[in-house]
Amino acid sequence: MATDSTAFSEEKLDKRHDIRLLRRLLPYALQYRFHFLIAILLVSVIILLELSIPYLTKITIDRYIVPRITAHRNSQGDAGPAKTRLYHADLSDPAAARIAARYPALFSPEGDSAVIAYADLAKLAPQDLAELRSRDLTGILRMAALLLILVCCNFAFVFVQAMLIEFIGQRMMHHLRVDLFTHIQNLPLTFFTRHPVGRLVTRVTNDIQNMHEMFTSVVSFVFQDLFLVAGITVLLLSIDFKLACICLLLLPLVVLTAYRFAEIARGAFRTLQIKIAEINTRFSETIQGIHVIQLFRHETENLRTFAGLNHEHYLTGMKQVRVFAVFMPLIELLASAALALVIYFGGGSVMEHTITLGALTAFISYMRMFFRPIRDIAEKFNILQNAMASAERIFLILDTPSRADASGPAVLRDKAEPIRELSFEQVKFSYPSGEPVLKDLCFTLRAGETLAIVGPTGAGKTSLINLIVRFYDPTQGRIMLNGSDIRTYSAAAVRERIALVPQDPFLFSGTIQDNIFTGKEKPSPLFEQAVLDAANCHDFIERLPAGIHTALNAGGDSLSSGERQLLSIARAFAKNPDLIILDEATSYIDSVSEQKIQAALNNLLADRTAIIIAHRLSTARTADRILALYKGRIIEEGSHEELMKKEGFYYRLNCMDR
Amino acid sequence: MRSYQLIRPYFIENSQRIILGILCLLIVDALQLFIPRFIKWAVDDLTSLNIDLWKLGGYAGYIMAVAVLIALLRYVWRRCLIGMSRRVEEGLRNQLFNHIQSLSPAYFDHTRTGDLMAHATNDITHVRMAVGMGMVALTDAVFLGAAAAGFMFYINVKLTIFALLPMPLIAFSARFFSRRMHRKYQEVQAAFAEMTETVRERLAGIRIVKTYNLEDESARKLQEMSSAYIQRNLALVRITGSFYPMMIFFTNLALVIVIFLGGRQAVCGDITTGDFVAFINYLNLMTWPMMALGWVTNLLQRGAASLDRINVILKTRPEIQEQPQALPLGSVKGALVFENVAFAYGPAGPEVVSKVDFKIPAGGSLGIVGPPGSGKTSLLRLIPRLYDIRGGNISLDGRPLREIPLADLRRAIGFVPQEPFLFSGTIQDNITLATTTVDPERLRQALEKARLTDTIAALPAGLDTIVGEKGVVLSGGQKQRIALARALFHDARILLLDDPISQVDVETGAAIIRHLQEFSGQKTIFMVSHRLSAVRHADWIMVMEKGVVTDSGTHEILMSRDGYYSRTYQLQQLEEEFNGHRQHGF
Repeated sequence: MATDSTAFSEEKLDKRHDIRLLRRLLPYALQYRFHFLIAILLVSVIILLELSIPYLTKITIDRYIVPRITAHRNSQGDAGPAKTRLYHADLSDPAAARIAARYPALFSPEGDSAVIAYADLAKLAPQDLAELRSRDLTGILRMAALLLILVCCNFAFVFVQAMLIEFIGQRMMHHLRVDLFTHIQNLPLTFFTRHPVGRLVTRVTNDIQNMHEMFTSVVSFVFQDLFLVAGITVLLLSIDFKLACICLLLLPLVVLTAYRFAEIARGAFRTLQIKIAEINTRFSETIQGIHVIQLFRHETENLRTFAGLNHEHYLTGMKQVRVFAVFMPLIELLASAALALVIYFGGGSVMEHTITLGALTAFISYMRMFFRPIRDIAEKFNILQNAMASAERIFLILDTPSRADASGPAVLRDKAEPIRELSFEQVKFSYPSGEPVLKDLCFTLRAGETLAIVGPTGAGKTSLINLIVRFYDPTQGRIMLNGSDIRTYSAAAVRERIALVPQDPFLFSGTIQDNIFTGKEKPSPLFEQAVLDAANCHDFIERLPAGIHTALNAGGDSLSSGERQLLSIARAFAKNPDLIILDEATSYIDSVSEQKIQAALNNLLADRTAIIIAHRLSTARTADRILALYKGRIIEEGSHEELMKKEGFYYRLNCMDR
Repeated sequence: MRSYQLIRPYFIENSQRIILGILCLLIVDALQLFIPRFIKWAVDDLTSLNIDLWKLGGYAGYIMAVAVLIALLRYVWRRCLIGMSRRVEEGLRNQLFNHIQSLSPAYFDHTRTGDLMAHATNDITHVRMAVGMGMVALTDAVFLGAAAAGFMFYINVKLTIFALLPMPLIAFSARFFSRRMHRKYQEVQAAFAEMTETVRERLAGIRIVKTYNLEDESARKLQEMSSAYIQRNLALVRITGSFYPMMIFFTNLALVIVIFLGGRQAVCGDITTGDFVAFINYLNLMTWPMMALGWVTNLLQRGAASLDRINVILKTRPEIQEQPQALPLGSVKGALVFENVAFAYGPAGPEVVSKVDFKIPAGGSLGIVGPPGSGKTSLLRLIPRLYDIRGGNISLDGRPLREIPLADLRRAIGFVPQEPFLFSGTIQDNITLATTTVDPERLRQALEKARLTDTIAALPAGLDTIVGEKGVVLSGGQKQRIALARALFHDARILLLDDPISQVDVETGAAIIRHLQEFSGQKTIFMVSHRLSAVRHADWIMVMEKGVVTDSGTHEILMSRDGYYSRTYQLQQLEEEFNGHRQHGF
């Protein structure tokens, strides 16, 4: 029992949690409150229309096909049944009077009208019958016309409503998506080291998609189906209170069944999702580890494991099939039970003349409409569940504070003056994992200087750069820009002054022009020309089919690695920064490109301040000053000549690199 | 239609269930048609008031009896038919998985994992839906539709003809719309994929985005993509949003006709009031089959397309084939000869290994060094025939590799790949690869030689530690040593080691190398390494640059020359020396 109650309270907590998540979506929904209002209005109209269709049928039957009985008595002697349905012919209508006079045996006068047994109407000649009931026939025609109009309106409204709901949903998700993406972009780099890109992409795309699905299906459920069920209930009660109450006796049973089903089905859905995720993992693992599997002849064993997983999935699937196999027919059975109740009790009421035949037919139609939304309930529950999980993941990211919220001076300078001096003052840095990377770094770089950093892998060269471009902030010590702490500037202000040429050029999909000139405005032809000239890009761009407007696919893999390097350099040129940070490429590039890249780099570095991570000593040699970094410390510093004289680390590096 | 052969066995295997299921389905359809009849009788009797409560109760009882029967039979067909579709799903997925496992690595170089995954999930789901609900809906649509029409004809031919006038419109527009829907849906998918790619690319390039202050520009780009996606979605909804209401509209149109014509006929006594009500009920019964017809064709088409795609994969033959006359490999000595070997990835690709010639006697060891991308890994991959050579010849114990059964060849080889690959599972599973019975002594030795004993003792769950997907809980060095232990555990005559200690610390690395040296004379060892101290004791060392062997000799010979080997060796010595110096100095 105890476990039950805790399970229950957890469930409750969950619900409150869900509501909190939904409340966070509210601001997005409020933006479209007028659209919502119109949508709700439309839904109400649609439901009225849908409900009126069976009602019109009812009216047609009651008023024109089987007119109400005003009196009942024995017909012709004692042979017939106790009660007979009678048709009243209005004798003031000359046509009716003529016909009544023609069949004196069938009509018996009653005041200013003549009555005829309903069953005897068939004994009249067809033309006479049509003439007698011409008013009924025009009534039917009118009803059919009215129905046609309603049906057309219904079609139009439903269409507009569907479009509107989709529009609202899509727009809301659009805002949420853009907000989420913008937020992620502004998160500090540590966030990206903790969260793989693939997972973040799923948040921005699939998770939002899940929420959209919830939006459309839940909104349609709440607004449409719930309204419809309520509308039907009201209508049934108003047509005949007693009969409606009898039918509604089934309601608790229906609700209970649906609820139980939703519960069981949710469990099965969830297990099914877990199993399919496991299957996918195994699948992708197998593909990625195909070498190992084939080399160790692991195929049979692997297949056995997979088949085991797959069979579990099958068994869960079968469980779901069983659940549906019980529930779906059960709901239909309940619908039929409602029908039987209507026939028995409703029929009884018809005999007692408390309701009309038309009302009975309307009841039958409404009962069918009533059960339709209930069948979909499980599916909607599942969608809701999915969406809540997605919402939670999305808001978890949105709740991660971006750097702007982190501690630091309240007002950041968002413009930095040209770089005159950049200095490290006893900078220490360690990654969040705790391993120290940089220890007591001190150096100063003045405008116009070129600084080369050499050292083995893991010495902390990349971390040093990461601090300057403010991907991270020092754990201790300060980095000073023009004499003031770099942290008093906004990250964007600092980056505005710097261009980074990374080891592996990263290109975005888009045209070459987009990739070089990243700003919003198009470059002037003159400037474009100058940049391409300086970066040595002319030759290969001219060879491309659409020149500078050639679209690159993702990663720019239609270009050679040398060409990509050149584009990366051109991008730095276009920014025209004060400080260049160059992470020299280590990968092999053919010698022709190599020369072009070198020339482009020389152009780029001329008259600029630069920090170069040098993998080639020839590059270091040309720098004004060289820092030799080893295990996070500066072990040697000075010009090439000075360091050669010292005969230390740098000297010995040079001895080997002849 | 050829692809249909794929699922035929499942139909044959489950033929009894299918026949039972379809039988139940047909009976259900037939029974469903009775309910409007009961309603008709009740209404007719009520019209003439020629009825008492007993008789009414009888009708209600009939309805309930039929409904219970329907519910029971529905349960049966759902379990039989939908259950059978789950069976097809399981079988197809196993088949696909097994086949994919047997394909050569080259296949995966030019096929994206994501595509294969899509086949394993979406396509198989489509087939399942087509086989399960598709079959049911088709039977339902055809039978129920025809029967309902039959009953209506029985009541009144003229009225039926008029009432059914909108029905072909439903079926036609369903087909028309489902095609356009499909197209629009694909456009939505394409826009979604594009948006996903934008997000992925901008987040992958976050460093460039941040340093070039491109955040606004990226957000604008996403906004653009997202807006395009919305447009596509709205275009789709224009179709779906008009399709379903239109279906209802057509049914309602039929209702208008029935009210108008049928009402007239009821007044004129051509049909009874009960007929009129029953007609409306039959019309309701017809709606679903008519709508289903459009949906079903869509479902079946999609299923068939998916089945075709799966079939294409299953028809792909592994590129690496063994010759039919390949004779089993007896005991392996392990002497390998490369003669003028050339290799390229793909028939059109540039050669990554050219003119490689060498001999290595059984029990000998060969070190391979060279800058990144010089073809060392590719060379190793040729020995177990993960890839086949383009030219020249490789032979093992005097027999060309192609003449040795693949399983025998690979059994003779232990391999430690450059990037250690771990499966999600325990450490033990990863080492033994779940060989049913594990010799604990052999496992202990493998752990010892890979210097894992202490590491594993330090883990709370020891060998039963779950490594997580791709071994995320372990460090790079630990993963490498597990991969090494795996190769040592599967005791083979030839050991291929692709930079096996690159992520292991220097001391442990040296200890591992010492252990490996003990195999000298027993195992033929190929060792690729960027750490030259790992290969210096090899019998012979090859330097590869840009796919060709540029130098070779023993450590001493190579050191005496001024080339890649001696220079790199000195550089690494310097680094190591500094390492020691620093440690002592501070």
